[in-house]
Amino acid sequence: MHQHVTARRRALRLGAILALAGGAWFALAFSASAESPSPSADAAGSPSPSASAPTVPTPGPSDTGWMFETPAPIDQVPLATAPPLPPLVVHPDGAGVNGCYDCHSAVNNKQAAITAEWESSAHGQAAVTCAACHGGDPGTDQIGKAMDRAIGYIGAPGRMETVGLCGSCHANVARMRTSGLPTDQYAQYWSSVHGQLLVTENDTRVAVCTDCHGAHDVRKVSDPKSKVFATNVPALCASCHSDARRMEPYGIPTDQLDVYSASVHGVALLENNDTRAPSCTSCHGSHDAQPPTSTNVVEVCGQCHTATQELYEQSRHSELKAAAPKCWTCHGTHDVSKASSALFFHPETPDYTCTTCHDLTTHTLRLELSRFENEADRRCDSCHHPDSQIYAQIEGISDAVVSAEAAYEEADQTIQEAARLGMITADAEVALMGAKTSLIQAQAAVHTTSLTKIAALSTDAKTKSEAAMALATAKVDENVFRRQAMIIVLAFILLSVAFLVITKRRLDRELEEG
Amino acid sequence: MAANPPVETGERPSGWLDQRTRLGPVIRASLHVRIPMSARTYYFGGIALFLFGIQVVTGTLLALYYKPTPEAAYESVQFITSDVSFGWLIRSMHHWAANLMVLFVGLHLVRVFMQAAYKYPRELTWVLGCLLLLVTLGFGFTGYLLPWDQRAYWATVVGTEIAGGVPIVGETLLLLLRGGPDVTGDTMSRFFGIHVLVLPLMLAGLLAAHLLLVHQLGLANPRRPEPRVATPESRQERLRPFFPHYLIDELVAWYVILAILVVLASLFPVGLEGPANPLETPAHTKPEWYYLGVFELLKLVPIKVVGIMIPVVGIGLLVVWPFLDRSPEVLIRRRKVVVGGATLVIIALLALTVLGFVS
Repeated sequence: MHQHVTARRRALRLGAILALAGGAWFALAFSASAESPSPSADAAGSPSPSASAPTVPTPGPSDTGWMFETPAPIDQVPLATAPPLPPLVVHPDGAGVNGCYDCHSAVNNKQAAITAEWESSAHGQAAVTCAACHGGDPGTDQIGKAMDRAIGYIGAPGRMETVGLCGSCHANVARMRTSGLPTDQYAQYWSSVHGQLLVTENDTRVAVCTDCHGAHDVRKVSDPKSKVFATNVPALCASCHSDARRMEPYGIPTDQLDVYSASVHGVALLENNDTRAPSCTSCHGSHDAQPPTSTNVVEVCGQCHTATQELYEQSRHSELKAAAPKCWTCHGTHDVSKASSALFFHPETPDYTCTTCHDLTTHTLRLELSRFENEADRRCDSCHHPDSQIYAQIEGISDAVVSAEAAYEEADQTIQEAARLGMITADAEVALMGAKTSLIQAQAAVHTTSLTKIAALSTDAKTKSEAAMALATAKVDENVFRRQAMIIVLAFILLSVAFLVITKRRLDRELEEG
Repeated sequence: MAANPPVETGERPSGWLDQRTRLGPVIRASLHVRIPMSARTYYFGGIALFLFGIQVVTGTLLALYYKPTPEAAYESVQFITSDVSFGWLIRSMHHWAANLMVLFVGLHLVRVFMQAAYKYPRELTWVLGCLLLLVTLGFGFTGYLLPWDQRAYWATVVGTEIAGGVPIVGETLLLLLRGGPDVTGDTMSRFFGIHVLVLPLMLAGLLAAHLLLVHQLGLANPRRPEPRVATPESRQERLRPFFPHYLIDELVAWYVILAILVVLASLFPVGLEGPANPLETPAHTKPEWYYLGVFELLKLVPIKVVGIMIPVVGIGLLVVWPFLDRSPEVLIRRRKVVVGGATLVIIALLALTVLGFVS
């Protein structure tokens, strides 16, 4: 009987929860549909593209400071519906004849260059002919018949039509199956800032497929000559985003390429050609390009820095939710520099006011991102006051990490000195690698903000560094011994030579006399 | 069965050992020769001989610890260098003596060429000397692989690749050297065998024949050609004893070389790069300095076969040179074309070597 009552209570509770959740969902959906711009309404309203500002908010520091509570994150803004996928371009089968190529390659240099571009492109290699995009009849050499709009000749597609034209093949699962390419780019594109502006504002200035991939010279992403090859991506994005005139209507800064190029990511990718390093698309997406918001930046950075993300999520910082310092608070965005112990404190104690960290009206913590725009201000004591208990804890963390780094550095220098003297330092290097692993773990553990954990790892790193140092010092001492022994051996050789020379002179004299 | 009676030589065995070996006359005949006062050897040949002795001693000591398999070679060399008492010294001496040996065999060859000491009656001595040079280079080539580190491995890959470019026999030569299409443990086994067995036996045999001919023919006079029939003038040549007068000079030169070796081994001990990794090609693979000239030539000459054939034909010419240059003249001023040509070849080789270093 008792069990029966309990079961009924549970069912009632579950029903109440479901009812509340359903109500909340309905309210959210209603509000979303009310705010969502309808593509048809947009088409009817047709706002001037040149005058309109983007409706999708661009997150980032503003002059007034960004309170985390105010704007809705971009991934929660309802998206406009993507246009329906057009069908494949229909054209007569050329029966192995590509009349378009035959004529256009002989018309003039410009047309010949276009046909040559196509021939070496991914499409040319995959036998995707001109008619697949332009329509017409490739099987005839009669210009009027080949380019007859009545049989479906398209000509050069407009920017508005390009996405659909590319998507007609690339979103077609059956068509793409043999090429092994993904088919979600079309859907992704319409979810991007570019796609949304195109569909909601008819803004044809935004990037479409051909702006990044080329038209006739489409190359595979893995082809270093491709504009979308990893090392070429920053320049490709900058071809629009560094253009101040082009970006003016959108209010987007145009210095990202310069800032990125000087960052650790930029140096790794552009100078060291390390294609593992992130380019623009690694954080912003490619077909689904959007600026990452403050709420999802940890996940974006965590795509590569997985272990660091896990450590951060164990920290007190991550518990602060909206007011939590995120990756970019300390490391920046496009200007990510090499992390070091310099990130702990300002050289001089900064000025603090109550509103630096607190919202006096709501009595909550707040994080003003504009305060971290300057790399020199991304420090722990930008938020933590010297009189606070947390500040003392940071000092403990800093001391532990810095002393471990110093021990490692000293051991490394001594090993290099031993190697410079010609000593084999393999054992010391192996020992130092162990120290480095512990040191990296200690440095990464800073993201947990746990003094106990960081101090333990730092002590481990220091102990291992000292062991490596002892091995390296023995090598240097051994080298000193060798040099001293060398001098003694040379002295013996000198004595022997002197004896031989004296003997030789006596023999020569005897020879002359005798 | 009675022992054979002592052979009557006219000389009575003097000492205990002599009585039991009867080698006294042989030793006396070897030592008590007289050499022209005008002979100038600059001790190059003797130093090369001394360095070979160093190689035999240090090489034998290294072989006590070295393990010639790809799995163990690198660690055994590391063990020799780091843990064996004076292992670093033995290995460094072996390394530097090998380099100096190539240098002094080369200098010896240049000296003999410039003094025309290859001419009658020493043509065969020259040919044997050239073969000794090739064997010495072979020592360097085969020994270079044995530490099995990155430098050793890739230098051998490049070196054997060059050998594989020789027309007609190249492919067979490549397979013969590597023991297969790639540099593997099979290559190491045969290089080790060649380095410690084949080449030492070859060198010992050639060296014995070379020294025997030097002993029998004596040192060449750099001022006048060897007469086909002894003349009164040649009989009046001022001579000095080989032992002990000339040998003491040699000993002094050997001590100097020993001092240089000790300094080089102490201040510039031979190191070890990372273990050989066939999947990781280093950015700049270069052979040892004595192959750099040929290596650079190969890079400069656009047609690979021509680049390979130039040194092959050059070495062939060098060996048979005494049979091509039949002029009896020995003075440099009367052999301007030959000496000038040789000087140009030496300068070109040096320039290519320097270019190889800096490129």
